[in-house]
Amino acid sequence: MDGHPYGYNIPISEKTKEVPWEEKVRIFEEIKSDFRFKEYLFGCLNCGVCTASCPSNRFFDYSPREIVQRFLEEDVEVIYDMLHEYIWACSQCFTCWIRCPFVNNPGGLVIIMREVAVRNAFEATKDLLKPYGRVLLKVMTTGNQLSADMLQPDFFPDWGPKMQDNMENLRAKRMAIPFDVGKSVKTAWEVSLETAIEMYTIWRETGIFEMLEKLDPNLYNVIMDIVEENEERWEELMEEEE
Amino acid sequence: MGHGKSPYLRYPEKEPFPILNKNSHYDHLFEEMYELEEKGEILVFRITEENKPVEVFTRTGRIKLIPTNKLWHHKSCGQCGNIPGYPASIFWLMNKFGYDYLNEPHQTSCTAWNYHGSGTSNPVALAAVWLRNMHQAWKTGYYPLIHCGTSFGSYKETREQLIFNKELREAVKPILKKLGRLTEDGRIVIPQEIVHYSEWVHAVRFKIKELYEKEGKPKGIDVSNVRVAIHNACHTYKMIADDYPYDPEVYNGQRPAASTAVIKALGAQVVDYSTWYDCCGFGFRHILTEREFTRSFAIQRKLKVIAEEIRADVLITHDTGCTTTFEKNQWIGKAHGMYHPIAVMSDVMFAALACGAHPFKVVQLYWNCSNYEPLLEKMGITNWRELKKEWEDTVKYISELEKQGKYDELMEFFKEYDLYEPYSRTSDGFKRRKSATADMPLFKS
Repeated sequence: MDGHPYGYNIPISEKTKEVPWEEKVRIFEEIKSDFRFKEYLFGCLNCGVCTASCPSNRFFDYSPREIVQRFLEEDVEVIYDMLHEYIWACSQCFTCWIRCPFVNNPGGLVIIMREVAVRNAFEATKDLLKPYGRVLLKVMTTGNQLSADMLQPDFFPDWGPKMQDNMENLRAKRMAIPFDVGKSVKTAWEVSLETAIEMYTIWRETGIFEMLEKLDPNLYNVIMDIVEENEERWEELMEEEE
Repeated sequence: MGHGKSPYLRYPEKEPFPILNKNSHYDHLFEEMYELEEKGEILVFRITEENKPVEVFTRTGRIKLIPTNKLWHHKSCGQCGNIPGYPASIFWLMNKFGYDYLNEPHQTSCTAWNYHGSGTSNPVALAAVWLRNMHQAWKTGYYPLIHCGTSFGSYKETREQLIFNKELREAVKPILKKLGRLTEDGRIVIPQEIVHYSEWVHAVRFKIKELYEKEGKPKGIDVSNVRVAIHNACHTYKMIADDYPYDPEVYNGQRPAASTAVIKALGAQVVDYSTWYDCCGFGFRHILTEREFTRSFAIQRKLKVIAEEIRADVLITHDTGCTTTFEKNQWIGKAHGMYHPIAVMSDVMFAALACGAHPFKVVQLYWNCSNYEPLLEKMGITNWRELKKEWEDTVKYISELEKQGKYDELMEFFKEYDLYEPYSRTSDGFKRRKSATADMPLFKS
């Protein structure tokens, strides 16, 4: 059997097998060194209540119990393999967390693993996140993750014919809202330039731009063009005010 | 139950309902927070009498203060972008109650939807974004009210991490200093309570009931026969589970109280169903890139169950993602003989409708892909066709004026809106030319 003898029923992928053992250990240690790790993992009765109530488990080959067990067993090989695709099935609902008698947080472990996969630019992660580029573009440049103009019917044919009607005359519909919400079509609300500039500082200081460059260099270039333009505009405005 | 030494940690003398989780690790946070404040490391942004706080209980029986007045609206990108009637209903009710609030552009999203979906952030960045937004609220003197469930959950978690981890505080402090987002004496500003809008709705539910009696019922609106299914959002009550309201009147404190309590206060029929505990299937990344999962889960585990077990008229939510997931993923069920139409909206949208808000101008149901018309009929809003026509005519009129460049007439027209504030009051007289999005290209339309 290619998989793990205690239940991880996905055969270890060739790409994991090819990776030197030392690299897998490095990744494992990177996950464990996160300050949250000790707050998310305590022990496990193998009761399976996390997996029984996990929405992703119903439709994917994914089990939060497996995540917990493999960490407790320090199964370096399987943990590394999970970083390719397995962890991306989690819905981040945290039902596992509230239900665990040990107060383990498998969803929290997954988010640490996702971060490590992104930071180390795993190939599968790059592919998985490609369709997510529009959200990244919005959030990195404007501070908003979603806007009215992102909900194009072409992207959501399964949402039905009403979506088509929604997008017609969009700007006027937004202006007609008798409160200052959702008036901008390009962002959820008008984020002040000053605020966006502060956010760019946060991205720089916390290594988010760097992370993005490794993940998707083309998207990174587009984002940096907008960021730099906004920063220049802000400087001009400051000079004008002086 | 005892009292801690911290003024932020209080329990009632008598347990309000059976409590399973006593001596919660999370509640200890409020003692730590007090100690950090005493040491001069943080400044606790306190809830004052001016905020007209209402006391509720959390799952552990802790008394949580919910400010109801003088609020800084921390908006939701998903709500403003996709469900504009959601925040509009909050503002409409606040205006009706005469509450003071600030709705300004000096805020970003929490960025947590992106984080949970893609992993492209980290705890220091999340903490910096949160604390920057909170500092902005503190600077204005208005207490932050969080519209989005994920922002609420993420902020609760970030606060816990920040209070219990010196290394995180040390990592975020220099960034805040660079941004000018510390107090003058170099402290981090942390709010006393992190408050979700659904908690505000819960706290003012009897005022909502009064408004329904006073203004909704005279219009012929009656919700007493409406069958309501409740869906609580995972990030409000499963994420940092010990910090969300529970109440003896709602399943004797054994289920989250918000949303259910306001529906009960209005006199509608809350009906229980077996999968109440399940999530909606939103999944952050999934709703965009694993759509088969999202719609399969939403239909099979929720919509189908609700239709078969209880035949509810409306599914009430209290978060952005759940509302979108449920109302957008019904039509596709026709392809597999699994079409279970039901109206979907948030608690505050339903409350506004019951109190007589315009279903299209205020509650903005035109965005909603669910089958909401039978619900309006059942509520007694039988003139919804005329109201829809009125809305559509308004949109056409605005569109024409804009096309013709008649901006003075447009502004004149907007004056007719009872509650319209074309440029909301902000902390510094915000000018639109300073928008971060002014030169941003539109996605294809």
